[in-house]
Amino acid sequence: MSRAAATPAPSHLGRLWYKWRFHLSALLVIIPLAFMPKYFKDVALFRGESGLGEREVGEVQVGPWSLRLAEFRQEPPRLEGPAGYMKSFNAALCQACIGQVKATYLRIGKPRSLRAAGALFFGSPYRMGASLPIPARTKADAELWITMEGWDGSMHQASIPLAQASPATLAWLDKQGGKP
Amino acid sequence: MSKKSRSRLWFLVHSWLALPIWFFLLIICVTGTLATVSQEIIWLANPDVRASKPSADAERLSYGQVLEAVQRAEPEIIVQSISRPQEDHFALNARVSYPDGTSPTFYINPYTGAIQGVSPQFDFRQFTRALHGWWLVPFTNGFSWGWYLVSLTGLPMLASLATGLVVYKKFWKGFFKPTLRFRHGARIFWGDFHRLSGIWSIWFIAIISITGIWFLIQAILADNHISISTEGVPPVVAREDAPIVAAGGSVPRLDVDQAVAAASQRIPGLEASFVSLPGNAYSHIFVGGRGWYPLMFQSAAVNPYTGQVDSTRLLSDRSALEFVTESMRPLHTGDFGGLWLKLVWFLFGLILSMMVLSGLLIWSKRTVQATAALAKRPARATRQPKPAKPAPIRISEATESQP
Repeated sequence: MSRAAATPAPSHLGRLWYKWRFHLSALLVIIPLAFMPKYFKDVALFRGESGLGEREVGEVQVGPWSLRLAEFRQEPPRLEGPAGYMKSFNAALCQACIGQVKATYLRIGKPRSLRAAGALFFGSPYRMGASLPIPARTKADAELWITMEGWDGSMHQASIPLAQASPATLAWLDKQGGKP
Repeated sequence: MSKKSRSRLWFLVHSWLALPIWFFLLIICVTGTLATVSQEIIWLANPDVRASKPSADAERLSYGQVLEAVQRAEPEIIVQSISRPQEDHFALNARVSYPDGTSPTFYINPYTGAIQGVSPQFDFRQFTRALHGWWLVPFTNGFSWGWYLVSLTGLPMLASLATGLVVYKKFWKGFFKPTLRFRHGARIFWGDFHRLSGIWSIWFIAIISITGIWFLIQAILADNHISISTEGVPPVVAREDAPIVAAGGSVPRLDVDQAVAAASQRIPGLEASFVSLPGNAYSHIFVGGRGWYPLMFQSAAVNPYTGQVDSTRLLSDRSALEFVTESMRPLHTGDFGGLWLKLVWFLFGLILSMMVLSGLLIWSKRTVQATAALAKRPARATRQPKPAKPAPIRISEATESQP
């Protein structure tokens, strides 16, 4: 390599820079290396190896049935374009009620009817998921309602405070209160 | 600017395009090359994913028979979907769910229905794809910034192809008189190699860079919530179709093979390559596969109670724009024509990786001189007709007009 004429008597540092400047892109390899633990943690989460979700809420009794509820990610709702802010929950039906429960719904506030019962859980009853829209003006004392519909036409409901279901969402709502 | 100065400028642009990011580009090319054959690498490493025939005249089981065999072997698990890889030497994949909430993939023998193995924690295929596709940067809010980082490299790649063809005068002659000189030192060899492999992979570099740029556009569109899809909202089973069943009774549901038959009847020529079972009481059985156009899938949503095909997504439903955009991904990965096509993509992927490396080697031996030479020339000279004095570096050297 010939030295460009424009650099008179380069310093030691300058010489290093000159020699290595085009190999600096190798430093980009640090990015995937740094994200690798997070990548494998996410793989385990998606596969269900690390539990129902990032934060287990606990067993909720709904009439004769029950389910285990978990926050998929322990974090505030995510903005999903026109759909607004969404929060994902996972649930597992009790072993005995798998054959009896037709559908499970999640909603903020008490549903007026079964047709407006909220987000429908999807997936295996051992680990199903629902994505719940969270309006930014949701009140801090809001309740999360679980509606379960049986194959025999019966319906049962239960609720838990949103604060218990997702403290991260509540903290986020508190911040939303500051700005309209 | 004179013709020669312009050639030299293009040559310098070509030389500098990939240089500052050469290592990044090299790793992207190498991981992409690996990703094209990752399924085959797993096939070599893990006997569980092979579809071994128990006897020469063994017949493939239907999806219904496979489902039955899996349920018999593992009564507690819930099968969510079964898919058949495009190549016959691969076992079927079934996404299943265990009572403990884990959801691995089963590898199932397509002839016997035997569960040959469970997908390991480390999925080599997903990992190479994630590394190649988004540099492992997680998707937290829309597309990952790693996706942008990787897909941006499509731009210098396409520009390298364009400028390369400009500076390589009469490049088509290289097809008839291939030159690869081994005995004239490393610089000559790598120069010949770069040019020769370059002209033979014009089509490949164009495909990879253009589809790569599409991935960039796709992310920009999605992150700005601009949709070009003609696909409507996903279908839902009507409330009145789902029966009310007295306590203790069993829910009458359509057999999987009936669903496949209904879908095949509705979509002529459909080769069902996946069946996705209902995710809840109000969702459909989805049956899908390739049609006459191997780059895109068609699917039908079959009502699990009535057996009706409630909706379909056909090739003819796609707009002309979707035909182009939906073809981008298979064109990039080369996974639409079986093993041999994958091997072609793999081979040219290797060549493309070597293009990056040989480009660097040539540069480190020559471009520094060419740049210094151009910098030394008086600014006026570039606008005037060619001065009589000889250029500091032979123009043939710089513009690759001669082999």
